[in-house]
Amino acid sequence: MAEKAQARAESESPIHIMPRSTLSTEANKTGSWRYLRPRYEEKTAPCSAACPAGEDIGKIEMLTAQGLFKEAWETILRENPLPGICGRVCFHPCEGACNRGEFDDPIAIHSLERFLADTAERYDLKPLLERLPGRPEKVAIAGAGPAGLAAAWFLTQLGYACDVFEASPEAGGILRWGIPLYRLPLAALQREIAQVEAQGVRIHTGRPVTPDFLNDLETSYHAVYLACGHGRTTALRVSGEESDGVGDGLKFLEKVRNGETPDVKGVSAVIGGGNTAVDVARSIVRLGGEALILYRRRRQDMPAFGDEVQMALDEGVKLQELVAPERIGKDGSRTLVTLRHMRIAGEEGGRGRIEPDGDRTSRIVVDRLFKATGAEAAEGWHNPPASKEALALSHCVLSLRNGRPALAWGGDLANGIKSVAHAIASGKQAAIALDTLFREGPDSILPRLESCTVGNGPSLSMEIHMGGERRLRNRHVVAYGEINTDYFRYAPRMTQPRLVRQERARSFAEIDLRVSGNIAMREAERCFNCGLCNQCDNCHLFCPDMSVIHDQSAQGRHIDYDYCKGCGLCVVECPRNAMTLEEEIR
Amino acid sequence: MKQVLEGSQAVAEAVRLAGVQVVSAYPITPQTHIVEILSDYCATGKMNAKFLRVESEHSCMAALIGAQSAGVRTFTATSGQGLALMHELLHWASGARLPIVMAEVNRALAPGWNIWVDQTDTLAQRDTGWIQFYCEDSQEVIDTTLQAYKLAESVALPVMVVLDAFFLSHTYEPVDVPSQEEVDRFLPPYEARFELDTKNPCSFGPLVPPAVYMEMRHDMAAAMDTALATFPVIEDEFAALFGRRYGAVEAIACDDAEIVFVTSGTITSTARLVLENLRGRGEKLGIAKIKLFRPFPVDEVRKALKGAKKIAVIDRNFSFGASGIFAQEIRAALCNAPDHAPVFGYIAGIGGRDVTPEVLEEIYWKTKHNALPERESVWIGLQEVSHGS
Repeated sequence: MAEKAQARAESESPIHIMPRSTLSTEANKTGSWRYLRPRYEEKTAPCSAACPAGEDIGKIEMLTAQGLFKEAWETILRENPLPGICGRVCFHPCEGACNRGEFDDPIAIHSLERFLADTAERYDLKPLLERLPGRPEKVAIAGAGPAGLAAAWFLTQLGYACDVFEASPEAGGILRWGIPLYRLPLAALQREIAQVEAQGVRIHTGRPVTPDFLNDLETSYHAVYLACGHGRTTALRVSGEESDGVGDGLKFLEKVRNGETPDVKGVSAVIGGGNTAVDVARSIVRLGGEALILYRRRRQDMPAFGDEVQMALDEGVKLQELVAPERIGKDGSRTLVTLRHMRIAGEEGGRGRIEPDGDRTSRIVVDRLFKATGAEAAEGWHNPPASKEALALSHCVLSLRNGRPALAWGGDLANGIKSVAHAIASGKQAAIALDTLFREGPDSILPRLESCTVGNGPSLSMEIHMGGERRLRNRHVVAYGEINTDYFRYAPRMTQPRLVRQERARSFAEIDLRVSGNIAMREAERCFNCGLCNQCDNCHLFCPDMSVIHDQSAQGRHIDYDYCKGCGLCVVECPRNAMTLEEEIR
Repeated sequence: MKQVLEGSQAVAEAVRLAGVQVVSAYPITPQTHIVEILSDYCATGKMNAKFLRVESEHSCMAALIGAQSAGVRTFTATSGQGLALMHELLHWASGARLPIVMAEVNRALAPGWNIWVDQTDTLAQRDTGWIQFYCEDSQEVIDTTLQAYKLAESVALPVMVVLDAFFLSHTYEPVDVPSQEEVDRFLPPYEARFELDTKNPCSFGPLVPPAVYMEMRHDMAAAMDTALATFPVIEDEFAALFGRRYGAVEAIACDDAEIVFVTSGTITSTARLVLENLRGRGEKLGIAKIKLFRPFPVDEVRKALKGAKKIAVIDRNFSFGASGIFAQEIRAALCNAPDHAPVFGYIAGIGGRDVTPEVLEEIYWKTKHNALPERESVWIGLQEVSHGS
């Protein structure tokens, strides 16, 4: 009976027409409705633009988070041959630019850089880097400091034979003689110098470049890069600075790095506010003396790294602000320093502008005094010419003399900011400029440097110069507002493990300790990877038209524009701004 | 087995017994209890069904259209604004000839924001091609829901089973819940007349030219006519198994009645009490309870109202600019019938206001004391509204 009613109803309500299509709906190419067009376009992370060496930091952290430590380390080496050194002593402007800083805390980029170098050392990794075919031109480099080493490294990658001439018995320059062991252990330095040499760079130590020798070099080399650094402490220009109680801060550091233990009994005054002054003071404490830094501005105005100043104070270094030496004399066997008191009279260049505080002076008696106010070229002729024929670039000065080898000045000789990272930037800029000069002639240098710029400059990328994938990125620097922070969780920045204060003050042992792989990976995972695709696949997951198609390309996917309606969901849901939505041009 | 159930629970039990395979819903008061119970049944395995959570009622009906097209039995429940949001897809479901069953708990439309009973939400969907049943009590709810599946699948049209908010959805009553075996004897497994098949891929709903569309619509019209003819047969089958019968129209004491109330929903129960009282006082009242609203049972309405001298339609709904919607339908059904009685239209109980026996008696006396209707619609129980501060 039940079936009967149903059968009857069906026969009485026939469906004569139920239109259906056996064509695929793919016949309807809905992509024609689109007036906005998404596309994959990687952009520039602010850290990489802020790094003087232009390191591809967003990618380095992505690889680190994935546990691809060797690849991450090699990614650094493409732009910077000295990660173990920079991971320790660089002032890391990258972290100041880090977008994560607006979210919670910046990524500990310098700690991760050092971690990668430590890992390479631990497993004795050999980098596998692209190298261009050999070139006939040879380049001579004066000075085996960071600028000279970097120039030699990059020129070698570009196919040039390089000879580095170093006045000292060992390579490293300021890294070898001017930075104390507790910040940069000898083994870390030697390993990376050896790695530069392993690329085929010949370093000739004990070979100072004199004017005569420079003339000789010009006959057998196609270019000379002068990077002899600023090795002489600047004079104070006060009376009595030549007396025997007054020492040279850089020379003092050099002695200590040479294994000597100078007598520092009693109280030593250190004049200056930069890293050298702080290094001298902290070395004095380690040798058993007392150190008093005398600085003409305030603590917040010191060019030394804030962290280093804090640790110095923790270790017992004293700091007297707003005093400048006016006269140095003797008080029996001790040294009498007359100090002029200063006061703040406004701001200039982000720090306090000072002027004498009326006639106020005071006098202190110390056992000795060290000058550490700054440094300059050891010889006047080291400095680049100011003439119009010289091409003044951001990190070096280039002299293209007709018929004669090119001459380039770099490192501290040409840099506004005297830092290891800027020295590396100088070596890289010189390498790109000389390579372009040799291959394409002088007129191509400026356009080539412009095309190798990371973000809004002045950092340069060797990977871009060598035609790597980085050249495909948009130079737009990703802003915090362009990150979809819904996809990130608050997570505290890693804490750099350190020797405790009591241990620090007793020895020159390295203060910053190694970090484990899992801490490094967790820290790297915090990175937004601004502007870079990390294969999160959100674009595929969110596409309502199934128009993000996986494939075998480097991107791993492409957009099927036959059906993409340009809704823009993929671009909005990309956490890291690795996609762009543009008006469709028809 | 007798159980004490809410109207909402009665719906859920019927859905369980009907062996529904896909349930989808978006929560809205006052239907929420229905899908709460069903989601629990799906989660615990008491029903072997998939519960699809969706982000709107529009998506809900779209999901059911997809599921039903794949050849399974489906269910949803909604109210008021939710039904309004489904509107576009209500047309699609019927046009695609998908026998989806929905429980609709009547809720007044906003603004003013109101969760109480008012039939305007479902009556506003009368032209969507859905069959509509209005229920009086929880027993009728469970029985009608089971019948709904049978009718829907017979004529390939979707069905709405309509309940009054709170007065029915949230009121506990004794209900005879049939056993699974009994239900299985009444309701065979769903067999789709056409369905999606991955072995033979096709899509439904392509572009249809003027040369064909009209015929498709005529098929639907014919299916509605068939539904009208089939429903009594289904009721026969149901009555044979369960001993209960409702009728598309239930004529209560209409044979000798001078005034006949036309009612729907829970107001009918109140009217039954009033009828008893008035009959006891010698007043000849009858009631025509409209259960089936679409297709509209014109012949049964004419038959029930044939002997009446006056007809009083009580509408818990309103079509602005016209009148109560049941009153329109009654007038339309009678206008071509010879010698029909005048139709008095009353609006009562809008937005959940109680329709008490006193309200219905007032309607009775107003009808009795006026020879002809004064106006199309008389609003009962309106309060004086002060426009002061």
